[in-house]
Amino acid sequence: MGVKIQALEYYFPENKVSNEMLRERFPDYDFTKFESKVGIMSRYWVDSNETALDLAEQACLKLFENIDRTQVEYIVYCTQSPEYILPTTACLLQERLGLSRTVGAFDFNLGCSGYVYGLSLAKGLIESGQVNNVLLVTAETYSKYLNEEDRSNRAIFGDAATATFLIKSNREGLKQFAFGSDGSGAEKLIIKNGGTKNSCILNPETKVYGSDNQYTDNNLYMNGPEIFNFTAENIPDFTKKVLEINKMELQNPDYFIFHQANSFMLEFLRKRIKIEKEKFYINMADGGNTVSNTIPIALKRLANDLGNIAAPLSVVVVGFGVGLSWAGGIIEIDNSLI
Amino acid sequence: MNTAKFLELVRDELELDSDLHVSTNLKELDEWDSMAAMVLIGLVSNEFDVNLTGDDINSITTVQSLIEKIGTERFE
Repeated sequence: MGVKIQALEYYFPENKVSNEMLRERFPDYDFTKFESKVGIMSRYWVDSNETALDLAEQACLKLFENIDRTQVEYIVYCTQSPEYILPTTACLLQERLGLSRTVGAFDFNLGCSGYVYGLSLAKGLIESGQVNNVLLVTAETYSKYLNEEDRSNRAIFGDAATATFLIKSNREGLKQFAFGSDGSGAEKLIIKNGGTKNSCILNPETKVYGSDNQYTDNNLYMNGPEIFNFTAENIPDFTKKVLEINKMELQNPDYFIFHQANSFMLEFLRKRIKIEKEKFYINMADGGNTVSNTIPIALKRLANDLGNIAAPLSVVVVGFGVGLSWAGGIIEIDNSLI
Repeated sequence: MNTAKFLELVRDELELDSDLHVSTNLKELDEWDSMAAMVLIGLVSNEFDVNLTGDDINSITTVQSLIEKIGTERFE
């Protein structure tokens, strides 16, 4: 018995922010190099009254145009933008979508590695015979965490949600997964205030990083060069490990989809691992870095670009980032994604 | 690596408008930002198999200080 992706949809908020708009907001910065190196042209941010749960609901409604919602047995919800500290957002989503009260539902808190973790959890739930299907949702609104004067992160991060429906199948559509964690890097990408250790505070001290970017401990902070370093040092060998546990060589998979962090970093990793350019899918100009959403969005875009997938294609998926946390695996995609 | 070649490589990768010398303070360049730091880490990793840490990046000033961080014996 195996598990396969039966359907996948994504949703961006309506408020699209182009580089031109950022240029007006930050006139002292030359975005030309940002476009060529980081490869992002636009991102989408929620309005102040819109949340990640709203985005998740929209992604699921798109999914339910093709999937009967009464079938859903379990919601696995990946977010670092929960509606509340408690309850778990997945329960709110059950109510919003009018899903059966018999569904299992929980949130898990992971960022860029989250979608791969979600696939692995869904595989475990289904292959162990606990449920017949899982609705895997990723939903993120990092824009709410960014300082108004944090130009670098405002240019990189966008909001989005995705919904993936995974079902029991005769094919092994989700193969083997591997994981990694390193809490010693926690402070490289962190929001310090607002949890149980430090409350959000009024009038927090303004700090500066990089080239005049401002933030406070109530905001998201990312040490970009350190995160790049961690990725460059760990992800090439980790990708080889993912291939090994799936008994594949580098040339065997049809495609590689890595967390779409920024195109410079992706190209660096591609060359380091020696993946053929044609097999290494990068599509982040529209949307930017949407954290746990980037891999499912890229999967959907790849399927749409291909138009028709005559035989199932194997795709290596690798997510890495905040935690520090990373995960990778090999999955199959077919025409059900289109 | 030849130092002149290294200067050219850094200038190309960081897409600098101005000339670059060993005495140039990288942090004072108009082009210096966290993206430039990332590009520099990538370049040094590819060319020298040396991984510059965030602390290394913070402590670097001139190109000469970068060369010392990489190891002067690697340059001719």
